[in-house]
Amino acid sequence: MSFDYSSLLAFIIFGVTIGVVYGIVALGISLIYSGLDIVHFAHGEMYMFGAFFGLVLAHNVGVPYPIALIGAMVLTALLGMAVERVFYRRLTRAGGGYTVAGMGMIICGFGMSVALVNVAYFIWGAEAEPFRANLDYIPRLSFPGDIEVPESYVLTAIISVALMAALHYFLRHTKTGLAVRAVAHNKDIAYLMGINVPLMISLIFGLACALAAAAGVLIGPMQSVQVEMGYLMLMKAFAAAVVGGFGSLPGAILGGVMVGVFENLGAAYISPSHKDIYAFLLLILVLMFKPSGLLGVEAKVKA
Amino acid sequence: MGILSSIADFIDGLAKRHRLLPWLLAYLFLLPLPFILATVFNEYLIDLANRICLFILLAVGLNIVKGFCGQVTVGHIGLYAIGAVTSAVLTLEPGGFGGALGFGWPIWAAIPTAVLVTAFAGLIVGLPSVRLEGAYLALATLGLGESVRIFIAVTPALGSSTGLMMIPAPSIGSFVFDSFTSYYYLVMTAAIVGIYFSFSILRSATGRAFQAIREDTIAASVNGINVVKYKLLAFVLSAIYAGLAGALFAHMPPGYLHHNNFTVIEMVTLLLMVVLGGIGNVWGGVIGAIVVAIAYDQTKDLVFYFMDRPVVVQPLVFGLSMVLLVMFMPRGIGGWIEDFQRNRRFIRRSEERLGGTARNS
Repeated sequence: MSFDYSSLLAFIIFGVTIGVVYGIVALGISLIYSGLDIVHFAHGEMYMFGAFFGLVLAHNVGVPYPIALIGAMVLTALLGMAVERVFYRRLTRAGGGYTVAGMGMIICGFGMSVALVNVAYFIWGAEAEPFRANLDYIPRLSFPGDIEVPESYVLTAIISVALMAALHYFLRHTKTGLAVRAVAHNKDIAYLMGINVPLMISLIFGLACALAAAAGVLIGPMQSVQVEMGYLMLMKAFAAAVVGGFGSLPGAILGGVMVGVFENLGAAYISPSHKDIYAFLLLILVLMFKPSGLLGVEAKVKA
Repeated sequence: MGILSSIADFIDGLAKRHRLLPWLLAYLFLLPLPFILATVFNEYLIDLANRICLFILLAVGLNIVKGFCGQVTVGHIGLYAIGAVTSAVLTLEPGGFGGALGFGWPIWAAIPTAVLVTAFAGLIVGLPSVRLEGAYLALATLGLGESVRIFIAVTPALGSSTGLMMIPAPSIGSFVFDSFTSYYYLVMTAAIVGIYFSFSILRSATGRAFQAIREDTIAASVNGINVVKYKLLAFVLSAIYAGLAGALFAHMPPGYLHHNNFTVIEMVTLLLMVVLGGIGNVWGGVIGAIVVAIAYDQTKDLVFYFMDRPVVVQPLVFGLSMVLLVMFMPRGIGGWIEDFQRNRRFIRRSEERLGGTARNS
């Protein structure tokens, strides 16, 4: 049997598309890490809430898909800012400035994640709901070798790239973006420069949660929306963030694409039932040999 | 306060005669527990007591890595799973139900082997700690622990979705540990010995090396402590605890093992025990394990209906209580214990100075 190059190409294309979505979530995690010095373990739940907000807007309210996407992003950003304001701010302040020593934040994030999942159980129940979106105006892409890429995948790729470009523009070419970068670099000096640091931190959190929500709404039409979807996505996004280098924004995208391609190829050529392990395998390999990640400058020591 | 400090004085007095005496006393106190539980409450509580003993082993083991040595690990439940599945697979008869692996080893050979295998796995989990710190280490260990569970869940030879069944119960001669009551003596003994050894480790030169690494890794290495060696040793020691707990869990009646016992929820429960107990305090961890296990078990079926929708209260309350614990009680129960001990020491020293009048003031 000769090697089938067109199916290899198909696996890579689908891997890249799903990987870009991992990359968006990882982007949010990276943003929070560089801004607040915490690893946000409840970020998967923000993704899940975003998907459900989009579902409710699209099905129950009946707005078109792009508006549902934007609405879900806004709602989730508000939710994330509320969570940060009520719970995390006190904790991040307790460590002196915004650094947290050791376990506190990890446990707090886990607890928040469990609590949010159960709030969602209460509101939406345990059933997986299909996300029916009318995407007929998006063209299907055809590649040589009988590969057809469905509309939802095309849309995902377009919107992901647009979001990344928008985030890049915001961080590099606006004054607020400059303030956000200053806060990520050094909070004390940012204070002295007259930057409203708590507001910027809220903004970082809101942005990260909006990105997670976008990922949730984008992945909705490909898979179905359910309460437990956040956890596995969180794991993949962590893997993506670490592989690319924690705190590095281009690294998060690169890591996401690598995780997506790696797990799709693994599922295709090694064993499909072990699909969810490949991301961790990649994570552990990268951590063993290049702990700072592929694009990370240097692993900051944050004890 | 008065009763507590007189009990503490009594234990101190016993410990001065021989350091094992307080432990023997505690052991004797715990011997009739299953009969008390069975007569006052019901048989089910003995099973709960068994599981509490296993959780104590796990929490104490986790404390060695996290509390003594200061290394963040979120993959402990994976080690527990390795211990349990290894021991179960080694003792099962070959050609068992659903294509599960089986080697038919005797149990008393399988348990030590499972502990050794888990210790080796702990070494592998510990390897990232040599180069990583804080958040990275948490993610690496989480990835390892979670891949263990997924691997078990998708491999039919290790039980996958049906779980491993008919795992034999241990026996000495003709006496078989196949009831809750008889198994209680096995796990209770293991838990007491585990707590005792954890104190031994804390007091030894190894324990002091761990604490030095926790306080300041660079200062410890300057003082001639082999940081790599001791970090790995901490992981291996805690893996031995987790492996033993896992192996004992596998053979516990009714001898059934499912990968749902090793999910991230269990890991969160374990973390909650250690945090409630106060990170780094052995007795705090033990009390945390008891409190959380009882609370977890008794609230499991608590459901109330709000607008005709069932609301499972327990996970919500557990998650929120973790958040609030970290926010408002970061030192946990261990903080109270340490304050109590420090007060007693202060009073004793003052008494020596003032001639026995300090306690009245």
